Amino acid sequence: MTDRSPSTVVLEPSVSSPASRRGRLTRELAAIGGAGGVLSGLLGVGGGVIMVPLLVLRAGYRQRDAHAISLGAIIPISFASVLTYGIAGEVRAGYALALALGSVFGARVGAGLLARIRERPLKIVFGVFLVAVAVLLLFK
Amino acid sequence: MSGVVLYAALIAFGFLTGGAAGLLGVGGGIMMVPFLTLVAGVSQHAAQATSLLVVLPTAVVASITLQRKGVGDLPLALRFGLVGAVGGVAGALLALMLPGHALRIIFALFLGVVGVRLVRDGIALE
Repeated sequence: MTDRSPSTVVLEPSVSSPASRRGRLTRELAAIGGAGGVLSGLLGVGGGVIMVPLLVLRAGYRQRDAHAISLGAIIPISFASVLTYGIAGEVRAGYALALALGSVFGARVGAGLLARIRERPLKIVFGVFLVAVAVLLLFK
Repeated sequence: MSGVVLYAALIAFGFLTGGAAGLLGVGGGIMMVPFLTLVAGVSQHAAQATSLLVVLPTAVVASITLQRKGVGDLPLALRFGLVGAVGGVAGALLALMLPGHALRIIFALFLGVVGVRLVRDGIALE
């Protein structure tokens, strides 16, 4: 398991150039979006945790582009969720407002960092995050 | 926790969550829901509904920031997400029929394996 041979580098950006398919919702992307949605609805987790790995490992996107696409996709997904149970549910509006107040500023900082960070640390940080989520799910 | 302190903590935690969400490409609900239940003492259902209201503006602001910096492809991402939203409804309906506990364990194992692989790939990059 300690192989660090070039085989692992297959996931490098060269595999695909997202720019070449810019604007096209390919069948593969639609399948990933649908699968991400089904899994997130099924498991009650956000879509990003599922979509980012699929975009990177299945569709060959670079980590940065996968994160950006995931964030954009979360807009209609979370909008639909808000419509279905966000409004019906017992929302704590004051808490939501306070969290959102902080998080929109945080989002600018985080997205700014995403635009600059290199592929290597980004992959490692995201991988560690996934492992943490996995542990969290196991002990939930 | 007193009112003012709680709200200050919510704003600060929101900032951290938003930062992590923008960098990691996720909504941040996975961090906010435990915070709302454990620190703010909100029920699981209320915490999930509340966090959804925060995820939406967070993703909008992060996406606008990235769009301005020329990263990603927002029109494509929105259409991609539309498919995901439809899938989400299907998944929510399926969840009512399937054993949730087993699914969660399988999914957690899947995430663990993928996470380790990404770290390994990242370390192998130069």
